[in-house]
Amino acid sequence: MSQTIHIRTASQENRIRPLPSSQKNHRIFTPGEEVIKAAHTNFVRGHGTYEDDGDLKASVAGVKEQVNKLISVRPLKSRYNGQVGEVLVGRISEVQQKKWKVETNSRLDSLLQLSSVNLPGGELRRRSIEDQHMMRQYLQEGDLISAEVQSVFTDGTLSLHTRSLRYGKLGQGILVKVLPLLIKKCKIHFHNLPFGVSLILGNNGYVFIGPPINDKEGNEGGFVQNLEEVVPKETREAMARVRNCILALAKNFRMLFDTSIVFAYEESLKYNVHELLLPEAMVDVAVLTQQRLSMLENYESH
Amino acid sequence: MSLCEAEKTFILHGVAENFRVDGRDREGYRPIELETDIVQHAFGSARLRLASTDILASVKIEIDTPLPEKPFEGKIEFFVDCSANATPDFEGRGGEQLAIELANILTSAYSAPQTLDLRELCILKGEKCWKLYVDILVLECGGNLYDAISLAVKAALFNTQVPKINNMTIDGENVDIDVSENLLDCRRLNVKHAPILVTVCKIGEHCIVDPSLEEEQCMMSSVVVAVSNNHFSTITSMGSLHEETLFECLNLGHKVAVRLNQTLIETLEKMPQNQDVGFLK
Amino acid sequence: MSAKQQLINKIGLRLDGRRANELRRIRCKMGVFSQPDGSAYIEQGLTKVLAAVYGPHQTRNKQKAQHDACIINTQFSMAVFSTTDRKKRPRGDRKSIELSVLLQQALSAVIETDLYPFSQIDVYVEVLHADGGIYAACVNAATLAIIDAGIPIKEYICACTASLANDDVPMLDISHQEEILGGPTLTITALPMSEKIVLMEMSQRFHLDHLPKVLDKALEGCKDIKEILDEAVKDHVSKIGSATGWANASS
Repeated sequence: MSQTIHIRTASQENRIRPLPSSQKNHRIFTPGEEVIKAAHTNFVRGHGTYEDDGDLKASVAGVKEQVNKLISVRPLKSRYNGQVGEVLVGRISEVQQKKWKVETNSRLDSLLQLSSVNLPGGELRRRSIEDQHMMRQYLQEGDLISAEVQSVFTDGTLSLHTRSLRYGKLGQGILVKVLPLLIKKCKIHFHNLPFGVSLILGNNGYVFIGPPINDKEGNEGGFVQNLEEVVPKETREAMARVRNCILALAKNFRMLFDTSIVFAYEESLKYNVHELLLPEAMVDVAVLTQQRLSMLENYESH
Repeated sequence: MSLCEAEKTFILHGVAENFRVDGRDREGYRPIELETDIVQHAFGSARLRLASTDILASVKIEIDTPLPEKPFEGKIEFFVDCSANATPDFEGRGGEQLAIELANILTSAYSAPQTLDLRELCILKGEKCWKLYVDILVLECGGNLYDAISLAVKAALFNTQVPKINNMTIDGENVDIDVSENLLDCRRLNVKHAPILVTVCKIGEHCIVDPSLEEEQCMMSSVVVAVSNNHFSTITSMGSLHEETLFECLNLGHKVAVRLNQTLIETLEKMPQNQDVGFLK
Repeated sequence: MSAKQQLINKIGLRLDGRRANELRRIRCKMGVFSQPDGSAYIEQGLTKVLAAVYGPHQTRNKQKAQHDACIINTQFSMAVFSTTDRKKRPRGDRKSIELSVLLQQALSAVIETDLYPFSQIDVYVEVLHADGGIYAACVNAATLAIIDAGIPIKEYICACTASLANDDVPMLDISHQEEILGGPTLTITALPMSEKIVLMEMSQRFHLDHLPKVLDKALEGCKDIKEILDEAVKDHVSKIGSATGWANASS
């Protein structure tokens, strides 16, 4: 029996609307609003603010953040603002001389220098002219990579590196794009989930879902892709479920981190994978996940 | 956006396993949301969302002269506009080629007399007829435009109210038409057999319907079929296909179109009146 | 003359039942679409506009890139079914090119372009339903979409129309019907918080003596619109923020 086709009427009930998950009230600043009066001159201007007659005013809509004297206002949505050390997932958009351009949902295309990747055969090998000619064989347009931000140039361009065995070219899997703000900042962004799925939560809002990573395989600087291998059905199903769960959480503006995804996965088991595309199932999964997360929080705080 | 080989392989294997990236089987369709009566200036309108594909269709009616070779028939014209809201690539005239392609396939799907009876639109033989302007606005692209547009058009036509004519006075060359002012005094079009387009994509050795944006990149060839009352009114294929595969595609397209049509009609018939949803909620 | 006198009747009501200084109902929503970086929908009376913002992103045309600022690219487009008489083309005619340019100028006044070298911001507005004050609604929608995209602006930029009824009563937010019936239409785009006027456009002639009071009225309208938009923005941000649990917010 094939899956049913759903055509429903648009009504207020079946639209997804964000449900609050925290009762905390934050003061929201909107563009042009005064953040600090001229009388308190002891501050440093941060992102999302500007000075006008000595007053500090907000230039975006968001909440105020203060680190010592640095005052900034962070908008909810924006292009990814990379910081050194953050893990991200990107797609090669152009192969240039000695560098690749990478699309990372940032304001400007990011750069991956030939000198910041591990080439096969020795970590500290000199980069020769041959390597420059071989660049497209390592990474070509369209390839997905995981990388770390090495530095940020003055114009805002991110420079990436993949000099670790964890980073490099990504194999078979699914890329899901969510808002960068939904990725919880954690120490670990690479996860092997208990149901046989590996997950990379890129800080830039790109999430990569892949089959479980086998540590035994020798990693040749991460430039090998096995296109022959067929991902077994169970793994495929788990990956599709994780994909739909991530989208369900993201549609409801829930934070994405390993625990929330595992909970969502477990709560979603009462649905078939394709049923998770329906808005009411998405809301249901998000709400149940939230309940379990707050129970966990209460338990930990006692 | 272009996918890498590994992602394409993953999609390909998924299609072969009959388990696609989002869990659908090969005949699976993503949920659709539909709303009618959304454009006030129009005689009929509909908005359709299929995943992130967003289509607004509107029908306007004007009085026109029938073609000399078809004095008993009214006219219908399709116009598609790809809004730059959907993607910056459509800016200026960027979306024109796609728009023309979409309008042409609709025109040819509706050209068969059995699909929509244009004789209903005749006012006075050879002199006056109604002309339907069906305007489609693509607001967001999330794959499978053809299907989405045809469904939106059908819903808009279903929603269309053709004004009634109280009386006509013929004075030599001049024809005076007295159109009823009463907004409730209208008749609906018979759109039972209005065609539905289904795009069948061949990915690897198998065919699927309702491709997502990612799947559209993996397809080798595709067939767009227009199905109206169990008959094909248009078949357009892109890319090369074996004869057997072509028939396989046609079968699949037909099967899905019949189910789509049934669900669409059911939804339209129980469509609530005067709801105020639109883009606000 | 007789047409003008009809615009406000004896008990001070306009054709659609509003008072002279009353705006039409404004309803709006941010984040309508998922693919653009920012999007918004606004209804001012029956005028309905969708706006989408892409960027800031790398300039598509490398020659146009500026080393010290981002370029703002706008496109105004009107659905062919948006007017009572069907339009032939959605864009590309003189009027829509002019409105694109005006929108670009208005937005350049508030967007902090110097923060984004080598970048480009695309702003697309699409009129779904036209019932007077199209340009004003486009500016307001674009403002919301830009805020939704998290692009820094100095303050809200709002636009409003005003006219003169019965030869001496200024009236606010002109509907299409009132536009047709006569009287001059003044459209201003302003920064309501600092009370600066960015753009002013007037159709038909009227005496200079009347200008100050009509202008004042329009500016007042901009301030009212700003309050409405501000409330919508705060509501939107706090809803989404509390859904995420403010997890990445430090304070």
